[in-house]
Amino acid sequence: MPALETHARFLLRASALLIGLLILWWFVLASPMLYLLKEAAGNFVDIRENPSGDWTLRVPLDATLAATNGRHVPQPVHWVDFDIARTDVNGFTFSLPVYWAIILAAGARRSLRPLLLGTALISAFELASLLVFCQITARGAVARLAGNQDASAKWIRDFGQYLVVNALPYIVPFVVALSLHRGLRGAIFPWGHEPEAAVPSPRRQKKKKGRRIASLHRPERSL
Amino acid sequence: MIFSLCLLCGFGVLLTPRVQSADREFSRALVALSHGLVLACGGHASRDRAVLRAPGGFAIEMRDGCNAVNVTILLWSAILAFPAPWRMRMFGLLAGSAILQSLNIVRFVSLYYLGQYSMAWFDFAHGYLWESLLVLDTMVVFWLWVNRVARIGADHHAGA
Repeated sequence: MPALETHARFLLRASALLIGLLILWWFVLASPMLYLLKEAAGNFVDIRENPSGDWTLRVPLDATLAATNGRHVPQPVHWVDFDIARTDVNGFTFSLPVYWAIILAAGARRSLRPLLLGTALISAFELASLLVFCQITARGAVARLAGNQDASAKWIRDFGQYLVVNALPYIVPFVVALSLHRGLRGAIFPWGHEPEAAVPSPRRQKKKKGRRIASLHRPERSL
Repeated sequence: MIFSLCLLCGFGVLLTPRVQSADREFSRALVALSHGLVLACGGHASRDRAVLRAPGGFAIEMRDGCNAVNVTILLWSAILAFPAPWRMRMFGLLAGSAILQSLNIVRFVSLYYLGQYSMAWFDFAHGYLWESLLVLDTMVVFWLWVNRVARIGADHHAGA
């Protein structure tokens, strides 16, 4: 069962690297990464670090709170301040060690370029995620202050927050690794290597005769 | 493109109130299963809906995102986006979901014991390690399925 061995080997190697690199990140790398993230994000939002390590962010946002029973005149808003716990900010830096673990598990050969390029991409993604999170949180705060009960707007904010906090930081490292590491991509999606063999899908073949899926006869080179 | 669309739709549907309510019921069922597993293995625990409580006072609740529905959606999106016969897709969806849910039970029980040992390690394992390992497992499950699809396709071709 060479294929199963390949999978098992990759799974074991990637799991071990994930555990090792995440522990290294947790104890050593998280602080310098947070510092770099703070410096980069500081170009877009004002960030102050409290003695506890938590961050206070000031997000510029132009909005006007309409007059209500409790607020007799419309009130302009130019920024929103909010705190974010250090443990929560950590979530915007941990995608990098996950990405390194996958790339290193995929094999050292021809890994330098995807490692460097992916590191740059993931770093940009983490910064963008933090900024999107800031915007969603600030707009949510303004909507609450304004007493805006628009359910669809709230759902969109919840959805965006779910994506940037709970979904994408875990998924993006894998997607970027598959996009940049040719060996890993070739092993999982074999059609680029051997276009002759195909999986017959009667309905699909009726619609598109030319579309085919390659088989995985060719052994994975770097895995 | 299809993968991204399926993923976004899946997560979007997951956040709708009706599905959230079903999601909570599913979490309770998983906690009941985990509770049964702990007792069957000679451990001690009590259960209150989606909360598993240790005799020492530690308690762990299975919330949204802890029931592996998110990685199941990820796997389903990948399988649905991959061009394969529907019979193979159904097999991948069912078998893959079963594998991921089994792993998630292992994750939940391990976190239950880890939390009694150290909250710092619990936070680390809960927030980062186990979640990343589950996504890695999802990728490998998908990879195994793609291999199976390709092998059956090749056998079919060889027989034709």
